[in-house]
Amino acid sequence: MVLMARDLAIDLGTANTLVYMKGRGIVLNEPSVIALNRQTGEVLATGREAWQMIGRTPGYIVAVRPLRGGAITDFEITERMIRLLLQRVGVSRFTRPKVVICVPSAITEVERRAVTDAARRAGAADANLIEQPMAAAIGADLPIDEPVGNMVIDIGGGTSETAVISLGGIVALEAVRVGSFDIDAAIQNYVRREHGIAIGERTAEEIKVAIGSADPTPDENQAEVRGRDLMTGLPKTVVLTPEEVRFAIEDVVSSMVASVIRCLSKAPPELSQDFLVRGMYLVGGGGLLRGLAERIERETQVPVRRSNVPLEAVVLGAGHVIEHYEALKGMFMGARR
Amino acid sequence: MVGVVIAVLIVVVLVGGFLLVARSRRRPDGVDSFRRQIDALSPDSRRPTIDKMKPAEPPADDEDGAHGT
Repeated sequence: MVLMARDLAIDLGTANTLVYMKGRGIVLNEPSVIALNRQTGEVLATGREAWQMIGRTPGYIVAVRPLRGGAITDFEITERMIRLLLQRVGVSRFTRPKVVICVPSAITEVERRAVTDAARRAGAADANLIEQPMAAAIGADLPIDEPVGNMVIDIGGGTSETAVISLGGIVALEAVRVGSFDIDAAIQNYVRREHGIAIGERTAEEIKVAIGSADPTPDENQAEVRGRDLMTGLPKTVVLTPEEVRFAIEDVVSSMVASVIRCLSKAPPELSQDFLVRGMYLVGGGGLLRGLAERIERETQVPVRRSNVPLEAVVLGAGHVIEHYEALKGMFMGARR
Repeated sequence: MVGVVIAVLIVVVLVGGFLLVARSRRRPDGVDSFRRQIDALSPDSRRPTIDKMKPAEPPADDEDGAHGT
């Protein structure tokens, strides 16, 4: 007997995975992390529980992010993570829902197949993909049904994508495999190089959240950072200033801003003039970096607005597609060719 | 009597076959499907989905590492 399954939309992000259930809304929002027993391969934890283990595990446990740069780096682990996520939202072998998955627009054919195969093996009856910037524009409530230029900048954990959308289709697109994890890595490298201490990726993320910025901001503070001295091996505390963090992450931020400028230059002139009035919309967790909107605005001379739902816009957009599956199935990747 | 049943069966088969062929030949209308897609993307259509948004969960507790001073 096959029971009726509620169809799902999944934002399978490098940093977080969100699941939207048809008719119900967002039912799951967890870090894209899985903890495994290195010896037996057994899954020990997923999501937030596994995230708390990063960098703090004994030798036989490994806590990993199976996606990097928006792409699956370990197919088998990703499949297991998706299977567990689907189980947590009630999918079983008797309930096989249709699934729409948001992916970076620049993924290769091989990566596309890997994602859809992983979802089907994990229990989906049918799996289709939608580009993250398109889903973000739908979820951020931009008027993409009108013949006007809508520009959305989605800064994720592993990718930064900028798209111009009009009449329900992507007109211009620019994507780079640089995201907020690259900011964390840049901070880790800077602290190691300039202060001689090693810090973990979670600490680097905390520094970014506490004092990180892309442009000077009015109320700036210093931060105490604790790590391991590379010379002595002993715990050590150093003080990091916002200027230092800005210097450390400058290359990554410049790369994001350059990508936005390239997308603007690809847009048809008729749509370009709309941006000056309507502005560009910033979504994604990376877009929460202080001063980033101001920096983009300063370098492009185009107003930048933040979405009301920066972290959920993508899954809400995909959720809308699953709610109107028949009318919007032409928006799936591959359907427009 | 048998002849009537056979005739009815032949008519049913012919009508069924005709309907199947007609259905398979019908192409989706580009204007209609585009209109449906645009209508489904309208703000009114999106409102119920966006209204399902619940407040985001607070981030996990930060333990140690960086502290603004």
